Amino acid sequence: MDLAAGRMVASERRAIRHVDPLLIAAALGLAVIGLLAIYSATHQSLSAVGLDPGRYVKRQLTFLALAVMVLALAASFDYRLLKVYAGIVYVSSLVLLILVRTPIGTSVKGAQRWFELFGFQLAPSEVAKIALIAMLAAVLSEVRGELTVQDVFRTAALAGVPALLVFLQPDLGSSIVFAAILVGMLVVAGARARYLALLGLTAAVLIVAGFQVGLVREYQIERLKAFLDPASVSEDALHNREQAEIAIGSGGLMGVGYLKGSQTNLDFVPEQHTDFVFTVVGEEFGFAGAVLLLSLYGLLLWRAFRVAMLSRDPFGTYLAAGIASMLALQMFVNVGMNVGIMPITGIPLPFVSYGGSSLLLNFAAVGLLLNVHMRRFV
Amino acid sequence: MTDPRAGLRLKVLAALVVVMFAALTTRLWFLQVLAAEQFRSQANDNAVRVVEVPAPRGVIRDINGTQLVNNKLRLVLTVNREELGDDAERVLMKLSELLDIPAEELGARLDDALKRYYIFTPVPLVVGVSKNVALYVKEHSKDLPGVDVLELPVRDYPLGSVGAHVLGYLGQISKEKLKDPGFAGYKPGDLVGISGVEGVYEHDLAGTPGLVKYRVNSLGQNLGEIGELQPQPGDDVVLTIDADTQELAENSLRAGIMHARSVYDSSSNASLQANAGAAVVLDPVTGAIQAMASFPSFDPSLFTRSMSEREYKRRFGASHSSPLLNRAIAGQYPPGSTYKPFVAASALQRDIVTTSRYYPCPGSWTAPYNTSDPEATQYIFDNWTTANLGSMNIATALAKSCDTIFYPMGYRYWDLFYVNPDEEAHGVISHEPLQRDLAYFGFGSPTRVDLPYEDGGRVPDAEWKRTTHEAYPDSFPEGQWFPGDFILMTIGQGDTLVTPLQLATAYGALEDDGKVCVPHVLDHVESSDATVVRRYQPNCRRSVHIDPKYLRYIRDGLKGTVSTPGATATAAFSGFPFSEVSVAGKTGTAQVPPKQDYSWFAAMTDANGEKHVVVVLVEQGGHGATTAAPIARNIIEGLYGLPLTQFTDIAGTD
Repeated sequence: MDLAAGRMVASERRAIRHVDPLLIAAALGLAVIGLLAIYSATHQSLSAVGLDPGRYVKRQLTFLALAVMVLALAASFDYRLLKVYAGIVYVSSLVLLILVRTPIGTSVKGAQRWFELFGFQLAPSEVAKIALIAMLAAVLSEVRGELTVQDVFRTAALAGVPALLVFLQPDLGSSIVFAAILVGMLVVAGARARYLALLGLTAAVLIVAGFQVGLVREYQIERLKAFLDPASVSEDALHNREQAEIAIGSGGLMGVGYLKGSQTNLDFVPEQHTDFVFTVVGEEFGFAGAVLLLSLYGLLLWRAFRVAMLSRDPFGTYLAAGIASMLALQMFVNVGMNVGIMPITGIPLPFVSYGGSSLLLNFAAVGLLLNVHMRRFV
Repeated sequence: MTDPRAGLRLKVLAALVVVMFAALTTRLWFLQVLAAEQFRSQANDNAVRVVEVPAPRGVIRDINGTQLVNNKLRLVLTVNREELGDDAERVLMKLSELLDIPAEELGARLDDALKRYYIFTPVPLVVGVSKNVALYVKEHSKDLPGVDVLELPVRDYPLGSVGAHVLGYLGQISKEKLKDPGFAGYKPGDLVGISGVEGVYEHDLAGTPGLVKYRVNSLGQNLGEIGELQPQPGDDVVLTIDADTQELAENSLRAGIMHARSVYDSSSNASLQANAGAAVVLDPVTGAIQAMASFPSFDPSLFTRSMSEREYKRRFGASHSSPLLNRAIAGQYPPGSTYKPFVAASALQRDIVTTSRYYPCPGSWTAPYNTSDPEATQYIFDNWTTANLGSMNIATALAKSCDTIFYPMGYRYWDLFYVNPDEEAHGVISHEPLQRDLAYFGFGSPTRVDLPYEDGGRVPDAEWKRTTHEAYPDSFPEGQWFPGDFILMTIGQGDTLVTPLQLATAYGALEDDGKVCVPHVLDHVESSDATVVRRYQPNCRRSVHIDPKYLRYIRDGLKGTVSTPGATATAAFSGFPFSEVSVAGKTGTAQVPPKQDYSWFAAMTDANGEKHVVVVLVEQGGHGATTAAPIARNIIEGLYGLPLTQFTDIAGTD
């Protein structure tokens, strides 16, 4: 007993020495750029209606402080515990997703109050992303030998349930993230290419069927069409893309200067502090600023992959790979839609966009990466 | 890591991510470096123009729902003086040709007699131009700088000038009002109600303008709407005015005045001038004004455009009897004998006279003087007729308007006025119960009607006479209070002034057992979806402090005015069906030297509980029975659906 306890304390002490400062620096750097961009995007319209121009940025700063605590919390316990409780976490996240959807769920004040415990509304889809990563990592790490086609479809079903639930919300963006997590983790787990192809085919059939029974909402089709064939859709749907591109393009090599973006100040870009926050960086800090932002993501993802490589067990590897897939895809889809090479889906830019839930959960993910990294020798 | 092959597969995934970065960076390079120039100019072209969408102004309706004022889309030719610049003369010549209006007139209209337009706001020069004019202006816009034709909602008056004084008109907001916190949110150039109901209920009628945000490029071309805020239409105002009664009152007043102008006036040895007048019809129980006429009237639609100084003077000048003046509330006149019922009420209440006694009515009355002093001045006050009418009670004295019965009452108030040394020591300055009683009836202060520019009339007292003399010694050479001041007050002369609405309110109190109602024109305000926003709460809380039995006595006496032989208005009401409609009234002939006499008539009518008070005044209309009484009769006949009597010459009485 005493011996075992002593060993635990020693290992914790050793673990703290193996924290990854670059990983933390990248996440914090992105969050700071986010604060600057949120202020630039909102201060004018807030003061125009007589509100505190720092209203949004102050809220985001509060979230950031909370997020740093969440990061420390996520790094503090031994991540292998997560493997034990992955099932419970996964099922709980599904229950939350269902509760939020049903009228009973929204009328049950207790659940919502729990969400508001930290002073904000927690989006269950963000929780579900981490929960799915943990669940898939736990399942895949238990597979002995090569992945069979049954394994592939079983894990796909695990991802499919939350993906469908958020799709019904409707939140197409989060569904895509779930799919990306699944594919990324299957690739790392060594699923055969033809199984993945078969999975893709099945998904395509299901999606087409979804169109047929009307699961896909009008505006989602509109947005998709706006991307595929700009000439075919209304002014409104085109407006977002066009304005975002003008904002980013007019930034040029070095940007027009902080708080000087005319596109930003005149409110030309809709949802600019959330989904289109990248346009602020693009307009006001130019190509240089945009590349700096991408470099921070590059740094973050490099460190994430490194964690996956260095992990002492497959669970840690899959966990890190899943997190890397999630962050990479969100970054790519968001920046992609800002610059006009991806369709418009409501995916926030991780660490940068305004919003408490995504900031907290992304920092929690970084905390888990640190967790795996810190305990790679024990 | 347990599975070495996982390392390879991670590298595959990492490579995928690298491809993502490459794709994004390439795209960014294209957008921000290669195509930056093009996007910069697009961004410069991006500008927002916010256009205000005016809120539809509320409609004004009468009590039966008839629209008195609404909005109509009209083609309005506007000229912006700033943009006109040096081209003014040439452009005005061109417009003169186009519109067939002399260029000088157009130039004068640009200046606007009322100075309602700011230099930077377009002046509405002509309202209701033809489509052809609009087309021409649009096609020759380069040739006509600053000129525009816009389809604008313009105030429209379906009944023409009916109720013009009550309704009022709009104009651009004044600089003073812009500073007023009550007009927060208004901008220079905004139209606001200037007078009448339009002015008083501006905030109900105005609504809240909406906004449309357009994206415009550097050439100012509209590139599409980005946002919109719907305007909130103004609320509708429903008045207690009855359009039929209003029209009746205006027509009767006009017809009576026209007839009076053919009547010979013996005292001035000329035809009656009858230059102006007013008529009020109200509900004595609630104070609701059913009609309010003022002659001469005006066409309120003229105020939808600018006006030259000359046109303004021609239409609204003092030499044309100032038609914009609402004489019912802003005209102050001595009430003459129409005042007597209120003096009688005070005298009865204060036991100066009694209902049981009979009083002599000689042709003249001499004020008491020191008979032992042969040098003493004798002040002699004449009755309206030299004949001795014999003795009569107070009721008959009212019906026959006997001045010589009222003069002694005034002298009694003079007796009461004196203060004995004991009281003086206690700070009592003087006793003026008559003035206090008259003030209870509402004389001497505004009625607080919901219309602007109301005057309060005047109930003179010793203090007023002294201070006014001190302030204006030339106009008021005498500062001391004399018995004569009381004596003349009993017959509504001297320094006494009332407005027709004040008199109507006082007769309303007489009719309604002493309850004084605040007169009003608002019935309720309703939103554009016809729900009632606010209802006017009648305010009849004030009382005259006179025993109702005396008020009833006076009312009964006044019935004699129109029906008993020898009373002042019997001739004017000959043949009137009193069995159907009960009428109690009082004539008044006010002396306003050097002008001809002003003609008054006040009536209280009742048929099966439908009560009205009707007050008519005609400036320089001669005797009350000659001009005002027949007009009042006409109005009463119309109110109760009786055939209207033709105006004929009626011999002058009081």
